[in-house]
Amino acid sequence: MSSFEKVGDSFSLDLTLDEAQILINLTEQLLELLGEGDFFHHYDNSDPLAQLLSMPAEIVTPEDPVLLRLLPNAYSDPEAASDFRRYTEPQLRGSKQRNLRLMREELTILVDEGHGGVIENIDSGIWLKGLNDLRIALSVRLEMNEESFDKFELMPDDEPAKSVHAVYFWLGWLQENLLESLA
Amino acid sequence: MVKTITTPELNIDQLLDKPWVTIVWDDPVNLMSYVTHVFIKLFGFSKEKAHELMMQVHKQGRAVVSSGSREEMERDVQSLHEHGLWATLQRDDKI
Repeated sequence: MSSFEKVGDSFSLDLTLDEAQILINLTEQLLELLGEGDFFHHYDNSDPLAQLLSMPAEIVTPEDPVLLRLLPNAYSDPEAASDFRRYTEPQLRGSKQRNLRLMREELTILVDEGHGGVIENIDSGIWLKGLNDLRIALSVRLEMNEESFDKFELMPDDEPAKSVHAVYFWLGWLQENLLESLA
Repeated sequence: MVKTITTPELNIDQLLDKPWVTIVWDDPVNLMSYVTHVFIKLFGFSKEKAHELMMQVHKQGRAVVSSGSREEMERDVQSLHEHGLWATLQRDDKI
């Protein structure tokens, strides 16, 4: 079973090829959902000139429930929520994309080489947030609630949702394992 | 780091100066250990305090995790969202 190990100030993660493929698959899907452009930006986001054109007049509340959970409203009042979103959502989205991109880069090496192995020098902060976002995304798609565990346990093995739930459960195990390695 | 109102002896001036609160809401996904970890990381709480607040979120469905100016609370909410916790800010209705 894959697990994190503390090595000095960083962490390593031992993965089988199957596990690395599951993780890279989910990471790429979530990057796409977050609207990852497939081109390299040559301007610096902190440049005031960049803000001139890239700041949209309005950013609407996401319709997709996964995006709404990952980029939630900060206020119950719709007007205040929309105002806050306009100024902060690009940064929040960008932070989630950066975590996932870094995870993807590290996983790519294993997947491209076609075998399992150890990823070294893992930044625990990035992986904790990235794994958490992947779990949130899966949980929304699975419509998880407090009673879900029993529901999925009792589900026949050939139900596709059952294997998705197994992946969700595994991601939780992995995240817990990283948290324990931190202590 | 943001101070949390935990003591009853706060004077009215402090309350008027700090009328906003950040609330974390319960969800069936985030690991209890992860929520505790995020509270310690973002707010500098002791392990015990972070655990207590996490349990309050879990059992009561919500907990106030910080209070301060609107700008400070907006920063806290943004940081919590970056960590995947479900948080909102509002005026402190206890005033």
